[in-house]
Amino acid sequence: MVKTKILVIEDDISISELICMNLEAAGYETVAIRDGLEAEAFLQGCAENEFALALADVMLPGKDGFALMEDLQKRKIPVIYLTAKDDVISKVHGLKAGAEDYIVKPFEVLELLVRIEKVLKRTGRSRQKIQIRDVVIDLKEHSVSKAGEKVALKPLEYELLVTLASSKNVAFSREELLNQIWGCDYMGETRTVDVHIGQLRKKLDFYDVIRTISKTGYRLEDLS
Amino acid sequence: MKLWKKLSLVTVLVMLGAMAASGLAVIYYEKQYNQEKTVENYEQQLKFTSYSLRKELEEGIQAGYNEITMNSYVDFVMRRLEGDQYILVKNNQVIFNRTPYDLAKPEDERWGGEEPHSIILKRENDYYLITGKKIMMAGNDEYKLVLIQDISLLYEGLRQQAIYSLIIYFCATIISVILIFLITRRILKPLRELQSAALDISGGNLKRRAAVRTRDEIGSVAKAFNAMADQIENQVTELEQESERRKQLLGSLTHELKTPMTSIIGYSDTLLHVNLKGEQKQLALYHIKEECSRLGRLGSKLMSLMGLYDNDSICMENVSMQELFEQTAQIEKHPLNNRGIKLEYVCAMGNRRVDRDLLESLLINLIDNSAKASREGDTIYLIGEGNRILVKDQGCGIPEEEINRVTEAFYMVDKARSRKEGGCGLGLALCSKIATLHGAKLLIESKVGEGTQISVIFEEDGDGKGVYS
Repeated sequence: MVKTKILVIEDDISISELICMNLEAAGYETVAIRDGLEAEAFLQGCAENEFALALADVMLPGKDGFALMEDLQKRKIPVIYLTAKDDVISKVHGLKAGAEDYIVKPFEVLELLVRIEKVLKRTGRSRQKIQIRDVVIDLKEHSVSKAGEKVALKPLEYELLVTLASSKNVAFSREELLNQIWGCDYMGETRTVDVHIGQLRKKLDFYDVIRTISKTGYRLEDLS
Repeated sequence: MKLWKKLSLVTVLVMLGAMAASGLAVIYYEKQYNQEKTVENYEQQLKFTSYSLRKELEEGIQAGYNEITMNSYVDFVMRRLEGDQYILVKNNQVIFNRTPYDLAKPEDERWGGEEPHSIILKRENDYYLITGKKIMMAGNDEYKLVLIQDISLLYEGLRQQAIYSLIIYFCATIISVILIFLITRRILKPLRELQSAALDISGGNLKRRAAVRTRDEIGSVAKAFNAMADQIENQVTELEQESERRKQLLGSLTHELKTPMTSIIGYSDTLLHVNLKGEQKQLALYHIKEECSRLGRLGSKLMSLMGLYDNDSICMENVSMQELFEQTAQIEKHPLNNRGIKLEYVCAMGNRRVDRDLLESLLINLIDNSAKASREGDTIYLIGEGNRILVKDQGCGIPEEEINRVTEAFYMVDKARSRKEGGCGLGLALCSKIATLHGAKLLIESKVGEGTQISVIFEEDGDGKGVYS
């Protein structure tokens, strides 16, 4: 299965590696570039629609992130700016220039992943299928099959599975899951989440895939 | 009450008082004088008449006139002497009176003196002068001559004069009051300008000055005031610049802190929440450690930079430059050897008064910077001569347009590279500060691709005494 490719343009090595590490764990493929001019040259040589998204730092050596917008748009790559500048003017400038989102450092991993997911959905670049071991989730048909056979899931169980699988290897707290799937005005108990997780584990035989992380919540683990 | 009103009022009151007193005095003395003169005149007249009368009466007595004849004779004589104002008293009986008045007491002794005696009587609105004397003559009969004269005209004149004086006095008063008010206002006008300038300045317009050019006391007050305003403006500007610098420093600091913080938070968050492969876990931990030590370095550099802002901790002593160079070379030997860079030093300087630790830290910072810019096999020169210390390298150099900015805190020419070398952009800011504390300047000369030469130039070439105490 072809992984979604994300371009990471960030000059600080440790942050660049941090982003790549998380994106890869969540099931994306990444290409990291650490210089504005290098990014420009790279974009000229890459095919349209090769990348589903670019995460770009604003302050880059060579050519800054705002200036790179044109090159990125030529290749039809949506951009999320990632920057330490948290003043309103920079934000407005970035968004007006055509950025899909603007994330201020320091950020949380889960937030970054969720925002990426949202942008991909909005720009119609979401993954069509997600495969975890022998289970395939068809996002288009809203169906789940295990070893070729369809598994009947309730809508909320399906949503829960998609949420966990979209950011696989990343832990979600029960509250976050409640928020995302049941909606923020759902006054239910976190027990509800546990019940649905139990159902998923049983139906998909995911006892060792969906792991309970102490003090945090649940994580769908798949390092393939 | 305003000062100009007070001053005007006081002046006006004093002036009016003085004018009134002098006017009254003048009128009083004039009255006295005129009265005395008049009295004297009439007394002279009385004396003269009495003398003439005596002659006539003696003639009459010698001629042996009887009483009736004598009376007629007296009447005749008096008429001849135009004695319309006289009353003649013989043995306390009025024997001649052509005046419109009666003598109430003919026996009054006041008119019996040898010298004339005068009184002034006031009856209703009229004043009368009554003066009388004895006629000195032989014989048993006693004659007294009394003159009665209406002198109201004299007082009428004085009254007129007083009225005129009063009118003039009032006119003069009104004119002088107006003049005094105007003049005082004008003299005190610079004070209002001074006040408005002070208000403007306290309102925040520090550029405002009092436009007072007079040469009096107000002028000198205004001069002093303007000097004070200059001083305040300078100090406020300085303070503003200083706070602006601190704000920028703080801004850069926050920005500098954000990058390592992003990494540390991100990696620890990842370790907590994300299922990582073994080697990735190691990488995450490595990055956390690296970023933490970067923060540590930043902290200690910043501490020394902040420490330099309070000058108490500086200890100036006589230091042998040769020794200092040797020490520095000793410290740098190992790290430079590791990079394959040579350090050569020449010291042609004697002793200087410096803070040993600070100057050593300055040299180490400069050499570290050079080392970061140098390639393997390059040589760094440390030269001390006259009043300057040079650190010269053959490294990559600094672009011309960046030279002025490299001493700013957190400024890095090549950010990515500097980071990799563990720099945090504070080294030259620190050096510049240390140099300033020693009364020295940093001179940076550089050519891209050829190398950089940084000189620490001390202000004088003595032993540094007095430059900083």
